[in-house]
Amino acid sequence: MKRMRTLAVPVVLAALLAGGKVLAAAPGVGDCLECHGDKTIEKSLPGGGTLSLYVDEKAYRGSVHGKGACTTCHSSATSPHGKLAKVTCGKCHPDAEKSYSSSTHGKTRAKGARDVAGCDDCHGKHDIRKAKDPAARSFHLNIAAVCLKCHKDRAIEDKYGLPGQQVMEAYEKSVHGMAATKSGLMGSAVCPDCHGNHAILPGDQPRSATHRQNIPTLCGKCHPGILEAYEKSVHGKGMRGGITESPVCTDCHGEHKITRISDPASSVFARNIPKTCSSCHEKEGISTRYALPKKRFSTYMDSFHGIALEYGMTKAANCASCHGFHEILPAADPASTVNKANLPRTCGKCHPNAGPNFAKGMVHVEVTPQKAMGVFVVRVFYTVFISMLVVLFVCHVGLELLGRRRRKRMEEGKKE
Amino acid sequence: MSVESRESASVVRMSLMFRIQHILLMGTLLVLALTGFALMYHDNWLGSALIRLEGGVLFRGFIHCTAAVLLMAQMVFHAFYMLFTREGKRELKDFLLGKQDFADFSQAIRFNLGTASEYPRFGKYGYKEKFQYWGATVGTLLISVTGVILWAENISMKILPKIFLDITLIIHGYQGLLAFVILLFWHVYNEHLHPSVFPMNRAWLTGKVDAEWLRQEHPLEYEKLKQEEVL
Repeated sequence: MKRMRTLAVPVVLAALLAGGKVLAAAPGVGDCLECHGDKTIEKSLPGGGTLSLYVDEKAYRGSVHGKGACTTCHSSATSPHGKLAKVTCGKCHPDAEKSYSSSTHGKTRAKGARDVAGCDDCHGKHDIRKAKDPAARSFHLNIAAVCLKCHKDRAIEDKYGLPGQQVMEAYEKSVHGMAATKSGLMGSAVCPDCHGNHAILPGDQPRSATHRQNIPTLCGKCHPGILEAYEKSVHGKGMRGGITESPVCTDCHGEHKITRISDPASSVFARNIPKTCSSCHEKEGISTRYALPKKRFSTYMDSFHGIALEYGMTKAANCASCHGFHEILPAADPASTVNKANLPRTCGKCHPNAGPNFAKGMVHVEVTPQKAMGVFVVRVFYTVFISMLVVLFVCHVGLELLGRRRRKRMEEGKKE
Repeated sequence: MSVESRESASVVRMSLMFRIQHILLMGTLLVLALTGFALMYHDNWLGSALIRLEGGVLFRGFIHCTAAVLLMAQMVFHAFYMLFTREGKRELKDFLLGKQDFADFSQAIRFNLGTASEYPRFGKYGYKEKFQYWGATVGTLLISVTGVILWAENISMKILPKIFLDITLIIHGYQGLLAFVILLFWHVYNEHLHPSVFPMNRAWLTGKVDAEWLRQEHPLEYEKLKQEEVL
């Protein structure tokens, strides 16, 4: 910076030149730009830094407010002027102001925090454009970058206990993030689509758009067909019935890191499905509370399907192949894909010959006398039989070595 | 063992035909065990290491089935050989189980315990060899039948309920384990660790055994060969 001008010099100068005329009427845009059109105009801040007071005329004229006057927002501005009153957008945008003040940003800012997003942080100042305008900060494809400016800032994350940078980076790599940044899709989910805009609240608050109980409806905004299937499922009904531990979309798919199901990193990639489902279904408490059959994971992993899947044959049946996914129903429900009556059709998807006859017996074979007597008996028989044989073999060897000494003695006796 | 008897040379116990069959059997059984136990014990480190070594579950299955086909082909060949060739028929006669074998077994136990005065006199095959032979035959039959049911799963599913297939799978696996245990404890002991053959009965390679060994362990066969003037 070559020259450091104080604010006083041009202001006093302008006042002298213009005389009393300017003081009488509110200044026009041109009047303001006489000073503020100068790129070097700035003011010293108490902390030691400087704040540019330059207003880019072109950006302002192109903004949504470009046809108005500076004094609409800076109502206390005169020419010359000292420190101006704070701009209150709510004067013209009361609804936005109201919902903003109920948001976590608004509440924190009301406590005096200055590093929390206000109107200008997301919308801009003199260059505000309509959200539909591709040049707007709040344009669908630009907004994520605006949010991430703060939300990828470690200092801010630490100060407010926000999710770490990995979470934000995961969004950028997610199917939603890629749809926005890579493919430029207007249908992509960007931050405000899920979190809301002005009324944004942390997910643990019931009124938040991202609170557990609101998640299905939220995702259903863009995925209505899936929501419909989910609502009919045992998980959906449970969730709507107030069972908060009933899974919602994010429990299986993840949140920021959602990727395509064909992505091996996805929690719903074929190979990862057993782990994802069993994160609830292997929990003792859950199977007890809802009277669910136990050992679903271990019995699956011990089956041909489980082994094949474990060693990378994604073609092999996983939980969802038989039970379905969004429309999962309990086996007792006649509409369930794993209802006894429907098993031939479900198994038949891969095994065309698996008829009603095949469906007899357990699919998840838990080897206990109550659950699978036949298998249990055969296993016990072989275990006992093999163990007994080993013991008998060892006894036989011992006896034979004993007998050999006797034979040797007899042989020697004969020779003598 | 005297010097003369050692020099009195040796006698054929396994013809080339049987040695070939034995080596093939050994090879296929080893491959089947390695690929089969890999699947049966897929959840421990050795099992999973074996599956990876065998090129994944799909290729493991391919190797297992190929070896199984070879084993079953040998079994069929062996049956025909034993039933319809001169050598086979003679061997089969030696292998037939009779009352004498049970009497021999009990006499051997009693002798070893010191209550019988004489050790039984075996023919070409004593109870130990017969147990091995018929055990292997029954085991191979059972494991082949269950294996085929599991292999042809698309046909099996049509005919059999799943519970039957579950049992088939358990039988197949444990039958394999049983075969393995018998080979390890019985066959390895009899043919490698037994004091009369230690470290190995070389008949499976050379086809021959010492006449003196035969005289001590299979005296009836020894005497028969003497009579036939083979010795």
